Amino acid sequence: MNRFKCAILQAAVVAVVGTAAAFIYNTFSGNGINPFRKIVDVPVVEDVKPDEPAEAAPEAIRVIDLQRFAGVVDSGRVVIDARTAADYREGHVPGAILLDYYEFGRHIASVTPYLDFESEIAIYCSGPMCEDSELLAKELFAMGYFRILVYRGGFEGWEEAGMPVERGDRERNHTGSGET
Amino acid sequence: MRLRDYLFENDIAAIGGRRSRAAAVAGNQYVIAIVRVVLGAVFIYAALQKIGKPLMFADEIRMYHVLERGPLLYTVAIALPWIELFCGLSLLAGVFLRGTALILAALNAVFLAMITWRTVGVMNAEGTPLMKIYFDCGCGFGATYAWKKLIEDSAFILMAAAIYFSPAFRFTPARRWKG
Repeated sequence: MNRFKCAILQAAVVAVVGTAAAFIYNTFSGNGINPFRKIVDVPVVEDVKPDEPAEAAPEAIRVIDLQRFAGVVDSGRVVIDARTAADYREGHVPGAILLDYYEFGRHIASVTPYLDFESEIAIYCSGPMCEDSELLAKELFAMGYFRILVYRGGFEGWEEAGMPVERGDRERNHTGSGET
Repeated sequence: MRLRDYLFENDIAAIGGRRSRAAAVAGNQYVIAIVRVVLGAVFIYAALQKIGKPLMFADEIRMYHVLERGPLLYTVAIALPWIELFCGLSLLAGVFLRGTALILAALNAVFLAMITWRTVGVMNAEGTPLMKIYFDCGCGFGATYAWKKLIEDSAFILMAAAIYFSPAFRFTPARRWKG
């Protein structure tokens, strides 16, 4: 019996069955992704000037500093926390909505009611080294939310600056009863 | 030759006569069985860490700068953990053993090359000595020293090769299907 021929045939069966199971699971898991979805290669630029309208940097995700981010938070505009639920519970920017980038498929439907195509949406993640806020920004941009701001300092930058921190889970914060 | 013979190939006669080489071969077959269990358990565990988290795994693959965001990256991120899972299950169940060994040897050769590439990149860029390079390879076991990972993947290739080149297999359901 040809050992290599047998092995190739067996390998093909395992690979095909495994791939089929993977795509079936991906379809029904709730956290699946469409591998063929449109990839948005939108530029990420530094914010032009504070308070400048979005038209100043059209078709771009804008990176903002702490001062500008604090202004967005104070104004009550939508702020998204792109970290994990556990990180969020330990502490987050007041009023922020949890949308873990890695659980995007599972949670995006529950977050979209809070989003507005016309309003700015600020996103942050752990700190300057994480890129989840930018990746999440690109996903939202692909959905048509063009006024996206990214605060690169992340939660680390926010906390180090002595800004207020809210604790608690997602539901409590959505109802505005988060513990501060 | 029938399709079933190809799929469940397990030429038990190749192990040899029980009276002549029984001890040596039986010993070898126990080693192969242990190798199967260890390798199977490792890949099932690794797969379960990645299944259902395609974006996270895609990001981990992107760290190697081999695939950028696109259909190929996402297809790999979706399919690879499941292929690993089925390989692990096949090894434990004792079916498609040579094919599974072939897949695992090929996968680990690719992993080894990618980790080597990334390690050399870090050494060149940051001047970090090999023994101190520490990162999460995206393998499902968290962050570890690169040299440990290189040894580990090399060991997995050898284990897969041992399975592939085994003359036949005991502890498989295939014997019942023969005949």
